Amino acid sequence: MQRYYSVGSNMAATDETSALLRSFECEQNLLSRPDGSANVRQGDTSVLAAVYGPGEVKMSEEIIDKATLKVIFKPKIGLPGCAEKLQERLLRNTCESVVLAVLHPRSGVNIVLQVIQDSGSLLSCCINAACMALVDSAVPMKCLVSAVTCAVMEEGRIVLDPDSKQEKESSAVLTFAFDSRENNVVTCSTKGCYTPEKYQECLSACGAASRNISSFFRQAVERRMSKEL
Amino acid sequence: MAADFKTAQPVEYYRRFLKEDVRPDGRELGEIRHTTLNIGSITTAEGSALVKLGNTTVICGIKAELCNPTAEEPKKGFVVPNVDLPPLCSPRFRPGPPSEQAQVVSQLMADIIENSGVVALEDLCIVEGKLCWVLYCDMMCLDYDGNVVDTCVISLLAALKNVLLPEVTVNEETGSPVTDVEKKLPLNIRKCPVATTFGVFDDHYLFTDPTNEEECLATGVLTVVTTEDNKICCMHKPGGTALSESRLQDCINRALTRAEEVRKLIDETINSVER
Amino acid sequence: MAGLEIISDQGYRIDGRRSSELRKVCARMGVFTQADGSAYIEQGNTKALATVYGPHEVRKGRGKIQHDRAVVNCQFSMATFSTGERKSRPKGDRRSQEMSMHLRQTFEAVIVTELFPRSQIDIYVQILQADGGNYCACVNAATLAVIDAGIPMKDYVCACTAGFIQDSPLLDISYVEESAGAPFLTVAMMPKSEQIVLLEMNSRLHADNMEKVLDLATQGCKDVFAVLDRHVRDHVSESHALMTAS
Repeated sequence: MQRYYSVGSNMAATDETSALLRSFECEQNLLSRPDGSANVRQGDTSVLAAVYGPGEVKMSEEIIDKATLKVIFKPKIGLPGCAEKLQERLLRNTCESVVLAVLHPRSGVNIVLQVIQDSGSLLSCCINAACMALVDSAVPMKCLVSAVTCAVMEEGRIVLDPDSKQEKESSAVLTFAFDSRENNVVTCSTKGCYTPEKYQECLSACGAASRNISSFFRQAVERRMSKEL
Repeated sequence: MAADFKTAQPVEYYRRFLKEDVRPDGRELGEIRHTTLNIGSITTAEGSALVKLGNTTVICGIKAELCNPTAEEPKKGFVVPNVDLPPLCSPRFRPGPPSEQAQVVSQLMADIIENSGVVALEDLCIVEGKLCWVLYCDMMCLDYDGNVVDTCVISLLAALKNVLLPEVTVNEETGSPVTDVEKKLPLNIRKCPVATTFGVFDDHYLFTDPTNEEECLATGVLTVVTTEDNKICCMHKPGGTALSESRLQDCINRALTRAEEVRKLIDETINSVER
Repeated sequence: MAGLEIISDQGYRIDGRRSSELRKVCARMGVFTQADGSAYIEQGNTKALATVYGPHEVRKGRGKIQHDRAVVNCQFSMATFSTGERKSRPKGDRRSQEMSMHLRQTFEAVIVTELFPRSQIDIYVQILQADGGNYCACVNAATLAVIDAGIPMKDYVCACTAGFIQDSPLLDISYVEESAGAPFLTVAMMPKSEQIVLLEMNSRLHADNMEKVLDLATQGCKDVFAVLDRHVRDHVSESHALMTAS
């Protein structure tokens, strides 16, 4: 087994907003048992993702014309509760919209997400980790999905990829996930109150940053493939 | 004939309708089902409301209890929402522990309450660090025909506006709380959040207020919650079809007009009940 | 019964009824679309809702399949806001389980289950507001729901309570009267054949008085039947009128 490691610190050059992203690191294929795994670190936030499948699925969960996706979200401490269920569904639906599930009918793909450290922007880190782990597992996908969190501060400034301190001080936190083909919004989850104008502002800022992340994903995969071949 | 076609090819059946900009139940794409409201029908609850959105029916009952605030936040009371989707409301729900959907909607309700600040938790405090109210908001779906989130939000808001809490004083000598049942005060409702849910069909058609059938066929859903100061307090799009910025803006605009209608309906109903 | 006078000197009860008077019964059938049959009933301040699904294939636990008849599955639950004190467990506690079992036994006796072998009928009842006579409201609501679902029954099944307070029998007792601690009977019967399906008594009652109380309860069941039957006939003629009109 070989580990692949990429650092996205050089992403800043292309766009001025991305200069505000924290250091972005991604490590693939670091676990031996799952079919695919990835660890994504955004600043101090770190999430480990593992993908099992396509494999067998419980009779009751079987879908006859496509694969059943299941996401298990493991918080750093404590048992998963209602809030984690909402996260799990959000993550599952996000993955479902990019995975070509129709190619593997009557089978199951399990994605396990373990939070290692939460220092803000956890949801976007989870989506990114799940996407990279899916790529590593070679489950067929329509396109990549990349997520960016932003925080609206009290005075109206937008901070991309906020840490937990900034999240706490902010009036609203918005997370968007974009597809890599047309850069449209796949997933959106928000906290706090904000005006529709602020929403559009956040959306375009995150959209620009997400392009950098998806090109970074592409680079990481390219680099890895060139080494492997 | 139409019924057979619908059973055999449900997606194609819908596609034919949507091509003509109309839905099988006769609604236009942006049309929302008729909303009816009944406030204060449960006398054993501190506040209650029954909402019908088309066929979807949700009843919300609010019970208040006295409890101790936490040490970290001695000035705050609690609002505990819970959504129940019992097997009674639809054949898709089985008896047993709460389904995933019930848990997800419960959490969404908790998020909406927190984000919108509909009730300031400080208002529920009676004696700092000693005594506060906990409001249990139990929403139960009685008939499930899609779009349960919007219906729950309306029932929650209407029931909260219906809540009357007795005045509580603390007996100096014994230190035990004394409730004055004669003197009942309404709750201070700070914000009025209203949710609007959209469905996406065939990655192209966008329609409001999906029914159960439409929810099953939809390739994506989106819920926008707005307050009366035209702010968004929740934008929930759990995956599905990717939407462009301009389409999201369309949804927000539609949600803002819908929210205005709902708030008017709630106020009118409350006025007709009380005076 | 110091302090709380259940019957006044003039013979009126707390809510102004005579001793052999039922509370006002309000019923509606076919209230919901998703269920195969549904009904809502108000008996005084007790409000109950019943929905019926089936007959359908047996779900969960193939072992339950009966080869000669349908399985009746009942679930009783009380809304958390239905009582004065908040109920922390709306269903699954001992009382609700007992109630579910009683309902199942009642309806197994009246539904013609032999017509649907290897299938299942679900009856879900929900108390929205409780003010005494929960079981009765549930049975009456469920009867209407089963009729609405078009499932054949041998007869209606109607339920009523009767208590014995201050040396006189009282019909259809409310929560306040229930909690006075006096004995009371719960009777479910098929009014036409006058067969008793379920009879339950709590507390202690002298055998001499038993007949008086039982007679009153039986009469109550027949009165309930008269009300329910009228509702069913009204409902059917209304829906018939709607169908012929369109």
